[in-house]
Amino acid sequence: MTESPALVEHPTVEARAVSKWFGQKVAVSDLSCSFGPGITGLLGPNGAGKTTLLRMLTGLLGPSDGEVRIMGKDPRRSPEVYRHLALVPEEDAVYGFQTAREFVAYSAVLAGTDPRSAEEAIATVRLEDSADRPISGYSKGMRQRAKVAAALVGRPDLLVLDEPLNGTDPVQRAHLIDTFRTLAREGHTVIVSSHVLAEVERMSGRVLAMVDGKLAAAGDIAAIRRAMSHIPYRVRIETDLPRRMAAALVEIDSVAGVELDGETLHAETTDLEGLGRSIAGVAARLDARVSRFEPEDESLESVFRYLVRRR
Amino acid sequence: MTAFRAMIRWSLRHILGRKRLVGLGLFGLVPAVVMAVVGQTASDASLLKEFHAGPLLTVLFGVLPITTLVLGAAALGEERRDGTLSFLLLRPTSRTSIVGAKLASVWLGSFLIVGGSVGLAALVLGVRSGHWTPFGPVLLAMAISTLAYAAAALALGYLTGRAVLIGLAYLVILENGLALAIDGMATVSLMRIGLTAYWALLPDRTAAVAFSEINQLMASLAPGALGAAAKALVIAGLVVAGTAWLLRHRDVA
Repeated sequence: MTESPALVEHPTVEARAVSKWFGQKVAVSDLSCSFGPGITGLLGPNGAGKTTLLRMLTGLLGPSDGEVRIMGKDPRRSPEVYRHLALVPEEDAVYGFQTAREFVAYSAVLAGTDPRSAEEAIATVRLEDSADRPISGYSKGMRQRAKVAAALVGRPDLLVLDEPLNGTDPVQRAHLIDTFRTLAREGHTVIVSSHVLAEVERMSGRVLAMVDGKLAAAGDIAAIRRAMSHIPYRVRIETDLPRRMAAALVEIDSVAGVELDGETLHAETTDLEGLGRSIAGVAARLDARVSRFEPEDESLESVFRYLVRRR
Repeated sequence: MTAFRAMIRWSLRHILGRKRLVGLGLFGLVPAVVMAVVGQTASDASLLKEFHAGPLLTVLFGVLPITTLVLGAAALGEERRDGTLSFLLLRPTSRTSIVGAKLASVWLGSFLIVGGSVGLAALVLGVRSGHWTPFGPVLLAMAISTLAYAAAALALGYLTGRAVLIGLAYLVILENGLALAIDGMATVSLMRIGLTAYWALLPDRTAAVAFSEINQLMASLAPGALGAAAKALVIAGLVVAGTAWLLRHRDVA
């Protein structure tokens, strides 16, 4: 058994005490983790170092310190590991003049796989109807699917996805998540980075959370959730009686603080659902109208920062 | 289709975008237009001299370097900037093969324009005066010079985003300046690699040697087609090996 929740017993890919700095800026700091068959979510706010870590794992960046191994080999010295690996980068790494069919077929030829696998991959991401249009005319979501299809040709053992759901609509998102889960069930190693906890939660049981280039938490999603339960949520409330509403809110036990900003209230609470239920009663009692009640921080950056401080 | 051929095919399509193809294609027509205009007034006997003084120099100092610089800088440089380089690097294909395919595409694309340009001018010369002898030699010579220039531009495009600007500075300072002023500098001139080949391959060179423009450009360089081809191949080999090494060791941001 491995001691750290960041490590798995039979890793496909490993990062051993890796650091990466660009001049004075440290992007990843002394990070050790490993990934095996199944889906692992790499979670963290923008700028946490996720993309840098993924690019090191795939050999596009060399670690400033430490080492990376894919199936026991250094990817920067052994290009043959790319027979087993595919990356879907965050940026639009596509040729706009190609059609999706040409792009995916090109990927199949470069990967040395059967060109027929291109058609299969296009069907998997449900891009058949648009596959003969130039990619330059695609929406963000369609480009994402074209990139995923190009990565899926040859069914690689290791699939690395950097924010793969960006720009996709809910239907496409659900379908891509199903695709990744199917691959994981078939024994492929799938690493998915995201800054949205809910996305990772739908895909993966195992999560590595990164903040400021460091590993903030690792383990199953329930453990990460538990670690987050003490952190106050910040909520924006818009009402026609802000001062009276503020005075009433501070009486509620789960409300840690209230701030008045013009006509808008900002409340901090450890029980978001409870506050949601209470606010209706408070509004009725004050005869106030609440036009907006929403969590302010959906990026979860504050949650990640909390996790880092906790280490 | 093999990976190498597929890379050449798509790289050619990438570097020869519609705007680039039209722009460089029109530029490539200039030498033929010059030859046609000169042909209206010059005597048949002097047309070969006019071909060397006008269209050939326009290709050597304009069409050849600018075409290869624009296409060479785009081949790896744009892939690096657009993020598509990772698409190629994350495949089980050797870095040498990637750079080799890129060089082949830049060479083919450039020669399509440079060869077309000088070939058309030589065709006008032949039709107008019956001097057909420069046609083959000038195409072969441009193929050799294009290879040397394409290799240099490819490496420059990968290393810097200002490859075209640096290339133009090289053109003005070295090719047009130092190589003319200092005799020894002609040996490091990429453009003169093709010129030495052309001069060696031209059958009626004895009569043509009197053309002062070519003599001045050649300086003390000896004509020689095999030597020129060897020089271009060595430059291409060094660029492929060096750039492949950089692709293996340099970070891809």
